[in-house]
Amino acid sequence: MARFHFVEGTTSYRTYKWSMWALWIIVLLLIAFAVADTAQISIFDNSYNLGLPRINKSISFMIAILGLQVVVGYTGQLALGQSFFFGSGAYMAAYLVQDQHWPWAATLLVVVPFCFGIGVLLGLPALRIRGLYLALVTLGMAAVFPSIVLLDGLDEYTGGASGKTVDSTLAAPTWLPFNGVANFLQSIPFFGQYFGEGDLSSRETERIWKYMLFVGLTLICVWLIANLVKSRPGRAMRAIRDNETSAAVSGVNLAWQKTISFGVASALGGVGGIVYVAELGIASPGDFTQLLAIFFIVGLVVGGVGTLPGAVVGGLVITFIPEWASSTSNLPGVPERWLQGPTGTFILGVLLIILTFFLPGGVVASARHFKARFVRVVPAAPPGYTVAAPDDSDDEPEMVDALESGEAIGDSGLVDRP
Amino acid sequence: MELFIARLFDGISNGATYALIALALVLIYKATTLINFAQGEMAMFGAFIVLVLATERGVPIWLAVVIGMAISALIGAGIERTLIRPFDPADHLPLVIITLGLFLVFGATAGIIWRFDPRPFPRMFPTGNALSFGVATLTWYTVCVVLTVLIVVGLLTLLLNKTKIGLAFRAVSSNLESSELSGIRVGPTLQFGWALAAAVGTLAASIYVANPLFQLEPSVMARVLIYSASAAALGGLDSLGGAIIGGIAIGMVQSIIVQYVPFIPNELSLATAVAVLVLVLVFKPSGLFGTPQVERV
Repeated sequence: MARFHFVEGTTSYRTYKWSMWALWIIVLLLIAFAVADTAQISIFDNSYNLGLPRINKSISFMIAILGLQVVVGYTGQLALGQSFFFGSGAYMAAYLVQDQHWPWAATLLVVVPFCFGIGVLLGLPALRIRGLYLALVTLGMAAVFPSIVLLDGLDEYTGGASGKTVDSTLAAPTWLPFNGVANFLQSIPFFGQYFGEGDLSSRETERIWKYMLFVGLTLICVWLIANLVKSRPGRAMRAIRDNETSAAVSGVNLAWQKTISFGVASALGGVGGIVYVAELGIASPGDFTQLLAIFFIVGLVVGGVGTLPGAVVGGLVITFIPEWASSTSNLPGVPERWLQGPTGTFILGVLLIILTFFLPGGVVASARHFKARFVRVVPAAPPGYTVAAPDDSDDEPEMVDALESGEAIGDSGLVDRP
Repeated sequence: MELFIARLFDGISNGATYALIALALVLIYKATTLINFAQGEMAMFGAFIVLVLATERGVPIWLAVVIGMAISALIGAGIERTLIRPFDPADHLPLVIITLGLFLVFGATAGIIWRFDPRPFPRMFPTGNALSFGVATLTWYTVCVVLTVLIVVGLLTLLLNKTKIGLAFRAVSSNLESSELSGIRVGPTLQFGWALAAAVGTLAASIYVANPLFQLEPSVMARVLIYSASAAALGGLDSLGGAIIGGIAIGMVQSIIVQYVPFIPNELSLATAVAVLVLVLVFKPSGLFGTPQVERV
């Protein structure tokens, strides 16, 4: 039952859109102050960590998964080795900050073009390698990455097996009134208790500052990618995903579009790597393995292949499920043995299979279905036409989604399928 | 020269294992045009079953291997029926995701049940050297591995060429729709391919860790899968003979290039395999012995 109708381009639609954004920003800010001290909740004697450091780590994964959305979700190329670029970005940022004393922000200027470049370079053979073979090659690359880091000749740059530690931190500028905000939030009746007590420690201030920087960076990346996929290159990418041959026939330059999407995905992987090392302060070869590459795929699928918000959901899932699984040591009805090993990996694997079966669009597609019951956005009528009054009686929210994703054409019988 | 021969023997014994896993990959590819990324983990799981049977239940090792292969075959057939068949074989993404999910599940389950400590595998072959030229020694292990691979290939060839189900399998892998029209029950035939592949994989993992230099642990097959997949692609993904030649070739490349090309250190042997894979796919996408794919619009 759709309760709200908005016509694109009208004032009410713009108000709706901006108020949603404002709501999200406020929620994001509140989260920062609520979990700045390592927040924990206890269930069955297990304490689960919700703290900001975990969220910051998940943001790095979100950016990497956003890259996968471009290349796998929108272009349909099975380039699964995102951990390769993630690791490259992380190591390069660690080297520049630690040994060359660069500021963190400046590493973006090197890492983004570099990762874009190697993405394009490694993407060149991929122009001839398709489907399963591409998945194989890229997973192979992900498996090779740790051994490249461990090369003797690169020891002085990468720190070898013990990893590369970075001492430099991201201290918050003193003029930002974090303490004032925290004290204000604490003074609100009822809700104040969720925001800790007293002034923030310097660690907490640093965490909140990092969180804000990372969220800002993620928003910029999402905004850029959202514009990319809505523009002409984005439509060309989707055309390649849906049918490569007919895309080529319609005038899409396959080689060019694929190369661009490889490059963009790799660059985002590199940016994610910077965030990762800026949060954890260390890059070690064991972090960037084939397993991480597969975890990114889990994040991609759980969030929803070909949806940008899916990257956010995916990043949270692949951070918190292994984390919580490993801090669960006591659960009624489950043998202890099953809680001590790699339970998180097991759950992610099962989740991957179950979601592919029952929820191929991921969490985001279902959330959109749900939202379509309440809010419906329709395109503006062309000049000279009037839109008939929306009919609430026979609601088919599925149609909205289908039209948005452009998949309705094949199913409606307009185009003969082979 | 002696060093060269020594590296050659190393290459053969590793390559023979890669060839067996590559065979399993090829069987699954022929059945469902899919690279099973979980093949290595499934094989590792099977090898653990063999190990438990042999060490904790006191079953003779070769009998344990046969039972392990049978159990793996059942698991493989079950996976095909429940997880693979519901999907459209032409749409690669869901199938790849399913096999990656299986990769995580098998790896984690083995870690949960058997932990991560490496375990020595029972001896399957006689020890000692069959031949030696100075430093270069040909161990009985290598000889037996090569013999095992040859026997497996022989049996598979017989199975596929002389039996009715083998004929059905060849028909299905050559043209699924036509074979369905001519009355072949496609589902069970594909299931047979998966079962066969799982059994071959378990045998391969068992003889790989039966090498006195290796031990069995949950992560043992992760790299082997990359080598074997490169081998399978090199030989052409739908050619059984190609898988064997590809496997031996990758084993040789791994041991000889690393020894003789000075700028490629030992750590990069995996990278060399991936590089071979890329070169093959760029210049001869159908591999050495594979059927070229023709796409109809």
